[in-house]
Amino acid sequence: MIKLFSFFSLLSSKIILVILFFYCGSVWANDIKVAGTVSENGIGIPGVTIKVKGTNTGALTDADGKYNITAPDNGTLIFSFIGYDTVEEAIGNRTTINVSLTAASRTLDEVVVVGYGSQRKRDLTGSIGKVKGEELFKQPVQTPTQALQGKVAGVQIIASGQPNSQPQVRIRGIGSALAGVNPLYVVDGVLTDDIRNINTNDIISVEVLKDASASIYGVRAANGVILISTKKGKAGDVKVSYDGMTGYRQAANLVQMADRTQYIDYMKEIAPTVNVAGSAHAFEGTTDWYSAVLRKGQQQNHNISVSGGSERSTFYISGGFIVDNGIVTTNDFKRLTFRFNNDYSISKRLKLTTQLSYTRGNEKGVELGDTYRSVYRASPVVMAKNDAGKYGNTSAFGNVGNPLLSMDMRNERNQSNRFQGNVALEYSPIEWLKLKTAFSADNGYGNNRVYLTPFQTDLNTYITSGGNQRRLTSQLNLTDNRFLRWIADNTVTFAKSFGKHDVTVLAGSVTEKFTANQITGSRINVPVNPDLWYLGLGNPDSQLANGSTGDLQTRQSFVGRVNYNFDGKYLLTASLRRDGSSKFIQRWGNFSTIGLGWVLSEESFIKNNLTFLDFLKLRGSWGKVGNDNIESAAYILTAGVNIPYYFGTTIAYGSVIQDIKDQNLRWEASEQSNIGFEFAALHNRFSGEIDYYNKKVNDALAYKIIPAIFGDPDNQFLTNVASFVNKGVEVSLNWKDKIAQGLTYNLGGNISFNKNQLLGLNGGQALLAGSVGQQGLITRTDNGREVGSFYVLNAIGVFQNQAEIDASPVFGTRVNVKPGDLKYQDIDANNVIDANDKIYAGSYQPKAYYGFNLGLDFKGFDFSTDFYGSYGGKIYNGKRAFRFENTDNIEAAYADARWKADRPSTTDPRIINSATPASTYFIESGDFIRLNNLTLGYSVPKAWLNKINIERLRLYLVGQNLFTKSKFSGFSPELPAGPLESGIELNTYPTTRTVALGLSLGF
Amino acid sequence: MKNIASFLQKMTLSLAIVSVLGACDDFLNTPPQGQISVDAIKNDPNAAETLVTGVYNNLWDANMHGFSYVGLTNIASDDADKGSTAADGATTYGQMDNLTADPSNGLLNSVWSAYYRTIARANQALDKIPLSPAPQATRNRLAGEVRFLRAYCYFNLVRFWGGVTLLSNLPSVDELGNPTLQKRSTKEETYALIISDLEYAKNTLPIKGDASTAVGRATKGAAMGLLSKVFLYQKNYQRAFALADSIVKNQAGSYSLLPAYENIWRAAGANGNESLFEVQTGTNLSCNAAISQYTVCQGPRAGGLRGWTDLGFGFGGPSATLLAEYETGDVRRNATVISISSTSGTVLWDGFRVPRRDSVENSFYNYKAYHSRTAEPNCGVNDRLPKNLRILRLADVILIRAEAAFALGNTTTALIDINALRKRAGLKDLTTIDREKIWKERRVELALEHDRYFDIIRQEDVQAGRAVDAFKAHGKTFVKNKHELFPIPAVQIQLSGGTLTQNPGY
Repeated sequence: MIKLFSFFSLLSSKIILVILFFYCGSVWANDIKVAGTVSENGIGIPGVTIKVKGTNTGALTDADGKYNITAPDNGTLIFSFIGYDTVEEAIGNRTTINVSLTAASRTLDEVVVVGYGSQRKRDLTGSIGKVKGEELFKQPVQTPTQALQGKVAGVQIIASGQPNSQPQVRIRGIGSALAGVNPLYVVDGVLTDDIRNINTNDIISVEVLKDASASIYGVRAANGVILISTKKGKAGDVKVSYDGMTGYRQAANLVQMADRTQYIDYMKEIAPTVNVAGSAHAFEGTTDWYSAVLRKGQQQNHNISVSGGSERSTFYISGGFIVDNGIVTTNDFKRLTFRFNNDYSISKRLKLTTQLSYTRGNEKGVELGDTYRSVYRASPVVMAKNDAGKYGNTSAFGNVGNPLLSMDMRNERNQSNRFQGNVALEYSPIEWLKLKTAFSADNGYGNNRVYLTPFQTDLNTYITSGGNQRRLTSQLNLTDNRFLRWIADNTVTFAKSFGKHDVTVLAGSVTEKFTANQITGSRINVPVNPDLWYLGLGNPDSQLANGSTGDLQTRQSFVGRVNYNFDGKYLLTASLRRDGSSKFIQRWGNFSTIGLGWVLSEESFIKNNLTFLDFLKLRGSWGKVGNDNIESAAYILTAGVNIPYYFGTTIAYGSVIQDIKDQNLRWEASEQSNIGFEFAALHNRFSGEIDYYNKKVNDALAYKIIPAIFGDPDNQFLTNVASFVNKGVEVSLNWKDKIAQGLTYNLGGNISFNKNQLLGLNGGQALLAGSVGQQGLITRTDNGREVGSFYVLNAIGVFQNQAEIDASPVFGTRVNVKPGDLKYQDIDANNVIDANDKIYAGSYQPKAYYGFNLGLDFKGFDFSTDFYGSYGGKIYNGKRAFRFENTDNIEAAYADARWKADRPSTTDPRIINSATPASTYFIESGDFIRLNNLTLGYSVPKAWLNKINIERLRLYLVGQNLFTKSKFSGFSPELPAGPLESGIELNTYPTTRTVALGLSLGF
Repeated sequence: MKNIASFLQKMTLSLAIVSVLGACDDFLNTPPQGQISVDAIKNDPNAAETLVTGVYNNLWDANMHGFSYVGLTNIASDDADKGSTAADGATTYGQMDNLTADPSNGLLNSVWSAYYRTIARANQALDKIPLSPAPQATRNRLAGEVRFLRAYCYFNLVRFWGGVTLLSNLPSVDELGNPTLQKRSTKEETYALIISDLEYAKNTLPIKGDASTAVGRATKGAAMGLLSKVFLYQKNYQRAFALADSIVKNQAGSYSLLPAYENIWRAAGANGNESLFEVQTGTNLSCNAAISQYTVCQGPRAGGLRGWTDLGFGFGGPSATLLAEYETGDVRRNATVISISSTSGTVLWDGFRVPRRDSVENSFYNYKAYHSRTAEPNCGVNDRLPKNLRILRLADVILIRAEAAFALGNTTTALIDINALRKRAGLKDLTTIDREKIWKERRVELALEHDRYFDIIRQEDVQAGRAVDAFKAHGKTFVKNKHELFPIPAVQIQLSGGTLTQNPGY
């Protein structure tokens, strides 16, 4: 503590020194009055900010572009206006200073990270989206990935409200069925598929490589690449920042379940013999199970960073702490992050950089599957828990197990530790040549502990005894896992201009190794005391599921890239990556891209005629990328071991060779073309990008059935036969301007249209997935269809009377069909409703998704808001379709809408039970629009802050997901899942709404 | 500082250059983690032994010998009814029972696939056994065991489907698409492979009880017994008789009838003196060392008033014609049939009380498939109760000898054989013998032991009209030139692109 104190006192003394220096400076100067006009092409610009450098003295130009200011005679004036290049003028005793501003190409001059290097945005030939770290930090969400929601055209992010969950990302659609579909992340050069360890506050920028420009990452790039760069220190004063917020989360939307009256009424219909109200296990009231299980979860996020440095070295050190108490009572998550990013100039030509982070996560987990589904199903006439701490006996009532009890009797803890970072040496023997060698590592270890507390069906646990929800013996399951990935990069970059020719050439090699292993142990009869939750304390004779698994992958790659630029007009990018992946026998493959760009606005015929245009570029790219995101060694024939057989009373362990594998298995190959243009107009106030893309995946994995005579256990093998296509258009537009006195604003939006199609299985099997209880698998991915299409019966109404039933084909046994049941279309017109009558009823994939934002700044107040939404996707209401017991509860809306003899309905059936087949009745629109973020902040004026040695102080109120307009009747239209089973709401953790108060402080 | 800097500069330069140039394919050679590659198993001195054990293991497959197998054998025959509730398995087992199975009946594909899985394991083992460093004698024995098992598989396949696709070696993965591999061989070609496998097994396997073998492994006696049955199907009565005769005369190991018929199928009779070959089972920690669902699919099922924890799914109970076949006083009836009393509970041999008829789904169940949860070894998993499936026992061999002897005009031996079995069954000796009596004896002695359907078809070939009559009595219609064989599974025909041809009548 003393050390910390002395550190801060050192800091503050330094700050004081700096202030003294400025103070002294002004002692010897004389203040004079300066006036003039700020103009562009001779026309005055109103609203330009004029500041005296190093002070807070400032002025604005009037409607004619004129200004007046008092300044020291040896001072410097800074003229700045949004959309224009800032100009500094030394006063040098002048009293009239006229300045001419030129429209800036600010966003276009921005540098964009492109993988093993960076480029000016104006020189790009590929489609690359960029988001600044500060934009991401505005979102009070846990992962940087989720913060990207709606920010980049062509990037769809689907997140749940579960703490520490990994959102699903789809860049330009779904390009695979059986290999991975999530993008590759590259954090400061470390390749990974999980960035939950990254503190959003440490991010300086995120770039998304959407098209074939990703091919610089070769065999791993088919799903796009998200590059993350973390902050660095700047030479100069030591800066200390605190950024934090505290607030709470709650379920954004809940489904109203039937109350006691509605439930009893329904039960009369579905199970007339069950005496609901008279059951010994029922009570007088209505239980709202969601309020019994959910809560407002507290949320905190604190970040402190110290940065600074000298000419020779800079540093950025940060620490972050997140508390996210989930909205489910037994759930919480804490995360601690540290980062140390340092740069050292060892000599003029040699630079050493290090970027290191450590993250520790501690999560109290919640089991979503059965337990959470039971919350929806639990009967409202049984009490959740009474004041004495005894639980309502739902199972004795004939219902599901009491979900609150299941949750309370399960203790899960997940701890994770992750070190990630790199050390790099950069050597520049001559100005135009740079050699870089970098070593990156990503090392994680974690453990998972689940303890299942025993309990009986007696009065110690329950209000009433009986039923079958009990656990006779306790159980402890432990899992330890660790992984290490190291990557060695060596690159040579050559960059030189020859007259109008700019050339940059990159060559290098990348070597990567990944190892992982996991060990699990499980015992029963482990004591209840948490200090005794060790395997050795369990019953030694009943060792359960002890085991270990491992993984080993290596890759060796060579990269090369040429960027050529003639006169700032004609652009060429070509890259080649040669990748060797240990996952295949045919290891080596070449992945290349070529991109061309034409800066039309540099041509005189545009320049002279379309003067409103500041910038216009046409660009196109074509390239090949791969997807090796499949299980390691999937091509190697392996033997099954420990296959038992008895000879008399002696057990023998045998082996079998039976799994037939495609020994020539390859990566999925994706061919991507992109054509787009970028523009800026009206003094750079209006800018945008429009892209058309076509991504075709060949050699996609599918299962091919083989004749049984070959003895394969499942008579199929995985091979590269299928092909997919994703085509689409992306548009992003931005407007920013300044109006009136000090009010600046910006408006932006993006929309992406995508069409996904499975072109051909070529002998592979259609993939069935998406399990919904007794209804079985409800999606089918087949030729000509979207990946994960719902494939169900077509419900065409409700039978109103017996005569109508008699005249129609029915599903199941005819005598069981009653008025009020659903009527299905007989597609094959054979008078029987069966599996042959299923239709494709859309998929979760949206036709379009979009985001837009608005920002306003006025006299220290800032206001920003962003929305995002999606259109054209479908959702399967799996939780409603999943009926197992008649006693399962129903939704209040359904209770009010369902068919009754005295209240006929043409849409909702009288009952839904375990015999109700999957049909379009359960399919709903997935369209939604969400007010994703609303932030209102106030920055305390610097003039006040200077008095207390504070550089920056901003207070803000932020609301996340405040409002969603959705046609879907369930919890959330956002349903993250794998590509084949997306859009089924069954076990979903509700998305959350967050309201928080934040503070940013810098000194 | 300068020196360090220059050192680092040089290092960066050389690293960058070296690594741009150097590539190492060895680095990319990553063996699978936690799995033994086929290349590794080739070098394993125990591989021959363990791969053979792996072949035996598939005898536990649910479709090889479990529920589906019961469907294609007992339920399809006139020995048993589908049982269970009317609706349960109506479209699968019901079709089997009614002789209305069409090529898309899933049981056909399940059984077909399971037998070929065993054959594939056998071919893998035969491929690797020659590489083993074990002594020649051991390798011969192992190969003999595997060929016995392969012959057993093909014998069942040829009896279910006629001439089938023969695979006696390992096709490479590239060849899988080759349609000629899937061409059906003739029935004769199939039998030729079966006979050559069994001849090899007969010549290489030790006799039962020999020090070089273990209980449960295929023996010389098992090979000879199965071969004699194969010859009976071939109507080669000479060889059938000769082989059966030497077994009965204890020239291929010591065999004798168990004194108590009811013990044959209980744990007490497992691997007993009467046993030539049976599927072994046990009670391991994972509790999976048994045929999947063999016992439970045939166990008494709760119905009506229910109110008890039942023993199974209630399939394949004895049919009315089987019950009618027993003579009064035949002890085999009560050892084969669980009869559910309509007035009081039925107490089983181990004391388990099945409640009376109004709480049970069916009237009769297969007693041979019953496995006691209390008096016989088990580890608590009902789906895997360790009941040894008796595939070949001495009584079967005696019946083969009797039938072959009779065909050869040796009525004396035939009469001796039949009376030996009748004596154990508590019945009076016959004084005269004819084929009808031998066949009747065969039916009751081997009732519900999975051979009846095959027997009727075989007998039809000897005495036309026999199958039609038997099924007529059973209330089903047997169509000549169709029901001698099951339809080839539709999906397999589809996958072969039509190379695999359908059996007549389907």
